[in-house]
Amino acid sequence: MPAVLDLDWLEVVKKITRFIKDYVEKSQAKGVVLGLSGGIDSSTVAALSALAIGGDKVLGLMLPEKETYNVKDITHAELVAKKFGLKTETIDITSTLEAFYNSTPVFDPADKLSKGNIKARTRMIYIYYYANRLDTLVCGSSDKSETMMGYFTKWGDVAADISPVMDLYKTQVRKLAQYIGLPKELATKPSSPTLWPGQLAEDELGIAYEKLDIILYGVEHFMKPEEIATQLHVEGQLVDKIKRRWLSSEHKRRMLLTAKLEYRTVGNDFRLLRSPY
Amino acid sequence: MKESFEVALAQISCKQGDKTENLRKMQKFVIKAKKKGADLVIFPELSSTGYVLRDQIYELAEKIPGPLTGVMEETAEKNGIYIIFGMPELSEKTQATLYNTAVLIGPEGLIGKYRKMYLPTHSVFEEKRYFRPGYQTVAVDTELGKIGLIICYDIYFPEVTRLTRLEGAQLIVCISASPGIRRTFFETLTAARAIENTAFLAYVNLVGVEDGLQFWGGSRLIGPSGKVLVQAKYDEEDFIIGEVNYADIRPVETFVPTLRDLRPELFDKLKESAQEL
Repeated sequence: MPAVLDLDWLEVVKKITRFIKDYVEKSQAKGVVLGLSGGIDSSTVAALSALAIGGDKVLGLMLPEKETYNVKDITHAELVAKKFGLKTETIDITSTLEAFYNSTPVFDPADKLSKGNIKARTRMIYIYYYANRLDTLVCGSSDKSETMMGYFTKWGDVAADISPVMDLYKTQVRKLAQYIGLPKELATKPSSPTLWPGQLAEDELGIAYEKLDIILYGVEHFMKPEEIATQLHVEGQLVDKIKRRWLSSEHKRRMLLTAKLEYRTVGNDFRLLRSPY
Repeated sequence: MKESFEVALAQISCKQGDKTENLRKMQKFVIKAKKKGADLVIFPELSSTGYVLRDQIYELAEKIPGPLTGVMEETAEKNGIYIIFGMPELSEKTQATLYNTAVLIGPEGLIGKYRKMYLPTHSVFEEKRYFRPGYQTVAVDTELGKIGLIICYDIYFPEVTRLTRLEGAQLIVCISASPGIRRTFFETLTAARAIENTAFLAYVNLVGVEDGLQFWGGSRLIGPSGKVLVQAKYDEEDFIIGEVNYADIRPVETFVPTLRDLRPELFDKLKESAQEL
């Protein structure tokens, strides 16, 4: 890992667990619920949540479906749950998805992306339903790499009340995962949003996370694309492409937009506290 | 005037926007400080309201003197102690012009206030959106000697501290709300300001989490040679007491006579160059 991405991991754990504990306490929620896919991000967030507020207050929802079912993911999720003492529940969402496919006149199975988004959004509905029923918060698992790339489903996997690792790049989440004792096998497993069979994040992004993260680090630090290319030894065109993708996906990160008409406007210049009471 | 005395650094967390609760907490620590034999108790920047206030600040700001300083005056008088705390101040001449102010109250009542001169408006900070900067450095005459007041980001600008020292302050008080990412800067700068001015410097920082920002604490009393005399814990509430003994300044001032060696003509040059930047 490049030195600039290597952090004081003990300090990172302290900050994230304090953040989770503080937010749960201030909102007077009974705990958190999160989608537990068996991937690196959700496993890490689940573990950190358990460290922050105790595993008995963390519910990991496993939401597999027929097309992307992978026994390894389930095993990994169970491993994390056992090690960090969190509760889990498994719901096979296949029948819900099929009901949607079958009842939607314009549904086209060949449109992989639109279909995949249904899966992410369906999982979101389950997770929020549990949060409502159990009076808990939804803890998101998005990391900084995929969030900056817009590599997520709008209103889907990114939907959450808090996102504890959103300021860490994927390679940093992997390092953090190992630091807090997640199995190495899990930390080095290729990432996938599991929206269709065989989907791999790095294939879709067209770049390995090791390279992507260092480019994103450069744009984060206001470096010019040509500086990133020469200093970080990556191709200039690739840097341009990443930068364009980052900038053009801002609409997925700032979700309330209206025309400015009046004195103070929602999503614009109302500048309010997150939790005033 | 007392040549030596005990100073209490009350490193508290605040409830955002809740003056009643924060006032209650400050009063509790004032009583504790008195019991422990302190003559002065210092609270962090904006300790009456919390730091992250956004638009709510307009409802929270008060004139000075006003109801809040009135309560603190009673508290100081009753306990026979000096108190320094922070609050959003509403200008006496307008209806929505605010200052980020440090207030000094003694057993005899309100004796000084300082309006922050350097308002950070970058990174996570948006102070210029809400505050007007102050135009005057402040050194207040007290029974505990002259006390200079500065606030947080002012410490990056050595001239603020220097001016209070030239006005006769031998104890500089810096109240602060610094998030964790900036800890090393402050740890260096607080010591530097003490050394270059051969003065005591009391730094009191906030702790707690406000809208995701985590304040690092680490409050400290620094001697005129830059030595950290007492230091509070990082990241959690703490209350510590240190001794200020002005006699300690003399040997340092003779050893490294920075004030004797000041070159006034350079300040004209500094002014010119700063204007041309």
